[in-house]
Amino acid sequence: MAIQEQRLEHPAETAGPPTGVGWRGAGAMTQLGILTARQIQSMYGDRRLALFSLVQPIIMLLLLSEVFGTMADPSDFPHGVRYIDYVVPALLVTTGIGSAQGAGVGLVRDMDNGMVARFRVLPTRLPLVLAARSLADLVRVTTELAVLLVVACVMLDFRPAGGVLGTAAALLLTLVVIWALIWGFIAFAAWLRSVELMSSIAVLVMFPLMFASSAFVPLNVLPEWLRMVARLNPITYAVDGSRKLALGWDPGWSVPGALATSAVLLVVAVCVAVRTFRRPPNE
Amino acid sequence: MIRATGVRKSFGEVHALDGVDLDVARGRVLGLLGHNGAGKTTLVNILTTVSRPTAGTVSVAGYDVLSQGAEVRSRIGVTGQYASVDEHLTGFGNLVLIGRLLGAGRREAAARATALIEQFDLTGAAHQPSRTYSGGMRRRLDLAASLVGRPDVLFLDEPTTGLDPSTRIALWETVEALVSDGTTVLLTTQYLDEADRLADWITVLAKGRVVASGTSERLKADLGHRAVEVVLGREGDLSTAEASLVAAGFRTHVDAERRTLTARVDTSAAVADVVRALDAVGAEADRLTVKEPSLDDVYLALTQSPAAQRDAA
Repeated sequence: MAIQEQRLEHPAETAGPPTGVGWRGAGAMTQLGILTARQIQSMYGDRRLALFSLVQPIIMLLLLSEVFGTMADPSDFPHGVRYIDYVVPALLVTTGIGSAQGAGVGLVRDMDNGMVARFRVLPTRLPLVLAARSLADLVRVTTELAVLLVVACVMLDFRPAGGVLGTAAALLLTLVVIWALIWGFIAFAAWLRSVELMSSIAVLVMFPLMFASSAFVPLNVLPEWLRMVARLNPITYAVDGSRKLALGWDPGWSVPGALATSAVLLVVAVCVAVRTFRRPPNE
Repeated sequence: MIRATGVRKSFGEVHALDGVDLDVARGRVLGLLGHNGAGKTTLVNILTTVSRPTAGTVSVAGYDVLSQGAEVRSRIGVTGQYASVDEHLTGFGNLVLIGRLLGAGRREAAARATALIEQFDLTGAAHQPSRTYSGGMRRRLDLAASLVGRPDVLFLDEPTTGLDPSTRIALWETVEALVSDGTTVLLTTQYLDEADRLADWITVLAKGRVVASGTSERLKADLGHRAVEVVLGREGDLSTAEASLVAAGFRTHVDAERRTLTARVDTSAAVADVVRALDAVGAEADRLTVKEPSLDDVYLALTQSPAAQRDAA
């Protein structure tokens, strides 16, 4: 076809003054700060949603302490430890797991609503978008857990032997483990890119992690096979560590165990997340 | 400002782009026409550094998209088919966010956001969360967001798909104003009137290949044609009228439902020949109109050409 041979006869490209304003992208730390602030702002943009996310763990706390508290046979429990003091440090971890999966759903939502597409064509470093997501969600989880602890103290007379320091240490350990889990869910989200799949994965991952552990009952009341699973479960170490710190016991190997399993998870999840997130949509 | 040579993109066995060349000078508007699946969005993704080409070289605003992605991204604006805004942030907040990520200070970013809010007639809703915006407002905000960094090159990927006519025209006017300020634009569209109005140069893409390229006038002259459209008074006249026109050497098309005959005419004198041919068989015309060549003709001629169909198979 003759027309195919034509070329646009445009004037020689002149250097000309740049029409841009000369903004060439903010530094990495500035971008991380801006993106994290945006995530937090966005997260609490819908006040009702923010309120529900705070109410949910409180309801779990009330139900668990009341329902299981009446059932648990005190003879199976460590001597002199009340169920509320036993269960709250574990609830920190399990509530954290529940909240961590919100990070994955949030990231998928950002991919669906086009924000990620926008970030891809800005001079934004893509791993920072993920890091901001993880930090914002860590802020959210911290808030939820802090509220949980306050409610436990005020309403349910949570008074662990470890005192304020032990409880703070338990909270800190929990947050480290949860941050690794948040990255785990971010990696799933970057790979799966679907809210529906994320929800299924969340259930698939969350419940075994929570229940095949020492979170709600001591390991020795579990059947043999479940006890084996619980021993391999990183959440068991996190729960043990958090509980022992709060109760003022010697945490032993639980703290290094929790930190080591989290570190492994964190490294794997960050690598998978960053790599798969680079893949453009529809490829 | 945009230079692409031999761009290919394959997804396994599927060749989404099969050797595309583009060359767009500063301040020009290139209209990229094509059906869904012609490769328009794939090409835009490559030009905007989102996706990597399987083969070929691409430079945008003087920088290589593969090795200098960040340089390219700080000089382009991209608006897609869907508004990419943070629903929970206000319109103003969205624009400030982009400005800050681009490296503007707090005050500069706010000043730029204010100016854009005003320019895009969003002043009343500037401090409302963008989820409360109407579709048209979101698209305006989205376009404003892509202009925060005063880009050298603006990519508009089907910018008016799903917009109401008045919003569409307003967007066209905005684009025209930007172009007169020296912005280079690459516009992808399925709408020929849009390409006709905005683009200096049109490239038609079919099955990942450039099938034609030229100014709108040139394409129309080469591939379009003038036609006489006749609406007949009686349906019974259709076949005799057509036979008479064919006998007179015209290429015709019959639309029985609308009692309409279309005959291709190459010269003004031929219009009179059409009337004469109709008269000869006593066919009465209710209405007779001369249709000027349009891009639709070009588009249909190209995308339904044997070559395009062979590729589709």
